[in-house]
Amino acid sequence: MNQVTFRWRSPLFNIVQALITLAVALLMGALVIQVSGKDALGAYRTLFTTALGSRLSIADSLLASTPLIFTGLATAIAFRAGVFNVGVEGSLYLGAFAAAWVGFTWTALPGFLLIPLAFLAAGMVGGVWGLLPGYLKAYLRVDEIVTTIMLNYVAILFTSYLVNYPFLAPGLANSMSPKIVPAAQLPRLMKPSQLNLAFPIALLCVLALWFLMRRTTLGYELRMAGDNPIFARWAGMPVARTILQVMFISGFLGGLAGAGQVLGVNYRFVDGFSPGYGFDGITVALLGRNTPLGSLLAALLFGALRSGGSTMELFTDVPRDLIRVLEATIIFFVSAQFTFEFLRRRRALQDLSAS
Amino acid sequence: MPYLEMRGITKIFPGVVANDRVTLTVEQGEIHALVGENGAGKTTLMRILYGMYRPDAGEIFLRGRRVEIPNPQAAIALGIGMVHQHFQLVPSLTVAENVELGRESRRFFLVDREQAIARVGALARRFGLAVDPTARVADLSVGVQQRVEILKLLYREADLLILDEPTAVLTPQETQELFQVLRRLRDEGRTLLFITHKLGEVLALSDRVTVLRRGRVTGVLETDRTNEEELARLMVGREVKVARRLQAASIGEPALRVEGLVVRDERGLTAVNNLSFTVHRGEIVGIAGVEGNGQRELLEALAGIRPLVQGRIWLDGREIHHLPVRMRREAGLGLIPEDRTQEGLNLLASIEENLAAVHYYRPPLSQRGLLHPAAISGFARKLISLFDIRVTSPTAPAAVLSGGNQQRVVVARELAADPSLLIAAHPTRGLDVGATQAVRRELLRLRDRGLGVLLISADLDEILALADRILVLFRGQVVGEVPAEQATQEMLGLMMAGHRPETLQADQEAR
Repeated sequence: MNQVTFRWRSPLFNIVQALITLAVALLMGALVIQVSGKDALGAYRTLFTTALGSRLSIADSLLASTPLIFTGLATAIAFRAGVFNVGVEGSLYLGAFAAAWVGFTWTALPGFLLIPLAFLAAGMVGGVWGLLPGYLKAYLRVDEIVTTIMLNYVAILFTSYLVNYPFLAPGLANSMSPKIVPAAQLPRLMKPSQLNLAFPIALLCVLALWFLMRRTTLGYELRMAGDNPIFARWAGMPVARTILQVMFISGFLGGLAGAGQVLGVNYRFVDGFSPGYGFDGITVALLGRNTPLGSLLAALLFGALRSGGSTMELFTDVPRDLIRVLEATIIFFVSAQFTFEFLRRRRALQDLSAS
Repeated sequence: MPYLEMRGITKIFPGVVANDRVTLTVEQGEIHALVGENGAGKTTLMRILYGMYRPDAGEIFLRGRRVEIPNPQAAIALGIGMVHQHFQLVPSLTVAENVELGRESRRFFLVDREQAIARVGALARRFGLAVDPTARVADLSVGVQQRVEILKLLYREADLLILDEPTAVLTPQETQELFQVLRRLRDEGRTLLFITHKLGEVLALSDRVTVLRRGRVTGVLETDRTNEEELARLMVGREVKVARRLQAASIGEPALRVEGLVVRDERGLTAVNNLSFTVHRGEIVGIAGVEGNGQRELLEALAGIRPLVQGRIWLDGREIHHLPVRMRREAGLGLIPEDRTQEGLNLLASIEENLAAVHYYRPPLSQRGLLHPAAISGFARKLISLFDIRVTSPTAPAAVLSGGNQQRVVVARELAADPSLLIAAHPTRGLDVGATQAVRRELLRLRDRGLGVLLISADLDEILALADRILVLFRGQVVGEVPAEQATQEMLGLMMAGHRPETLQADQEAR
């Protein structure tokens, strides 16, 4: 019977499934627009042209995708290993501050040293931050969902303290750090868009993570432990060590997301600057089925929706909130799928043990 | 007119025909055995009869009348009762309370305990079921709990009793007692449907047999006019070679030595109590015992999954009790865990990845943390042909394999590490007859090649067929050790119930 209950899914199947999810979400969105007495087709046309209609709008979409690629990857690797790290937002804030600090402190360094250093500092800080809940889970079996959610507040409020007191930029009304030196600012790729070097770095991370998950022993271990931790233990895999490594990498990528925004867009650390990139990473990873490539595609999609949505508001009477409705619908379907899959798998296991 | 007739029952699950035009006829007052290998469709058919599944085609007649059975409540109303493999009792309640649960005798809105006890007691006496209605279910042995389940059905006035592999959890003595109860029920006019894959039980108990293979009926036989060979052939579809140890072991050095082992279970209770034994190279030592007497905890402690409270373990003369799982494996320990779908395999991962699971981190499969996909494929291909694993593709997930082939994957992987000691826990559980014999032959070959094998099994036939020495585990302790030549089913059965061999002898002498 186990041939039946555990059906194998080809990659094509996953893509088709994701596309169906997207189509249904767009349909629901259309319904919402139409019901509120507006022109759905027109809104979507505007959305499409503002997101992808010109070189510049494409650049803006890619810009909006950049932090989502990082946080999507950060979440995907953790989820794939069965570690439910929802603390990417915290790593992002700490990483962002670390990058800014390098950028406004080590002012004498040239750019080709300063930029890698800033990214590295951001990643390390974010990664070490991830080790804390990782350690609690691996060795003391403390539930990581709870700890990572709580630690987000600690990280966000701590960086808020830093830029309100010790590192408050003099002469400014808002809570933000001093500006980073020009040498630390990431080069723009397609002016006047703000699209910058962080985007290709994010693409490199996609490749690196694909390689890590498919071609390294750590990747093998994390996939096995994610599928079936009991099996991993019986096979003698170092499950606790794997959790620590995964949490470090996840936090590292979260830190890079923060660095990308600071070095490429804001040029300083601004209190509360993230609209929830870290949490968006969860949606991105789930829609991308916890694979690096899938997360990239999902991040590009959400980036386009966001970038298009904010401009759409300017040209039509459809509010930007519609984009939120679309995203929420996608999240709804993805999580429904996820729950369904989970229940089916549990049923299958029960059937197996009962037969 | 037959009591029950299921005609042309077909049930299709996605991708599999579980029942293919199955016809089952059961006469009033007979014990009818339904036999077949795992996956033959026995349980599906019974679930249809009990209203848990709807058939895709076919009809059910009860006493000549066509009936619809949409749910178990309807089945119960029609006088059909089922004893499931997993008992459905409330441990903290008494026997009488469990039996009456949902149908309490009431007096002024209060449950009338006195009357409940009296009625349940009377019912038990009428059918010769030795059960104390005031006892708490949690305090009862598995065999007695099963009687409570039967009592529950009788209380609900079931005429047709379905028993789903009722002997799986019983000692041989308890099995004999169960059979007596079932015969008595038959003599009282009840009809019994008995699901099993143990042929000896079929011959000992039933009046007639229906054999299923791959969802189809392959034979309906009078028990008097058949034998084990014929039944096995109908079940499997071909002749089956039975694995049995022939010559005595040529014993070598000690491979595994355990001394004063104490292990606790999840609840913190002592599950393995001061256990000591040795397994030599070239012998199979069988650990017999009713399940739940410390086997699982012993296995986990030996594997390194569960911490020891006390005791020492040596492998090839080297102390390993302080080592993690991986280092024990590197020291020469091979493990075939109890549950291949959870502990032995990652069903979602590919067959290749499963075969590599204890080898992947070392050359040639990887170097400095980098996997060599080509080396892993080659390694997997070699094992697949060496162990004759039937796969469509090595990159398909392990879930698509049959149970027997899944177990072959586990065995192949463990043996590829060239262990000096192999621990096999219930290695043939859930496997069909053919796959069972293949695994047993493999274990015997390993023994002859000079491996030490520790065989943990609840199946006495398996222990008797393979083991050179037998240790009987009862409540975490060895009640006795018997060389294979002197072991009999009866003797092991008594020991599994906690009787020491010395007292057995004394009993015999006293007679």
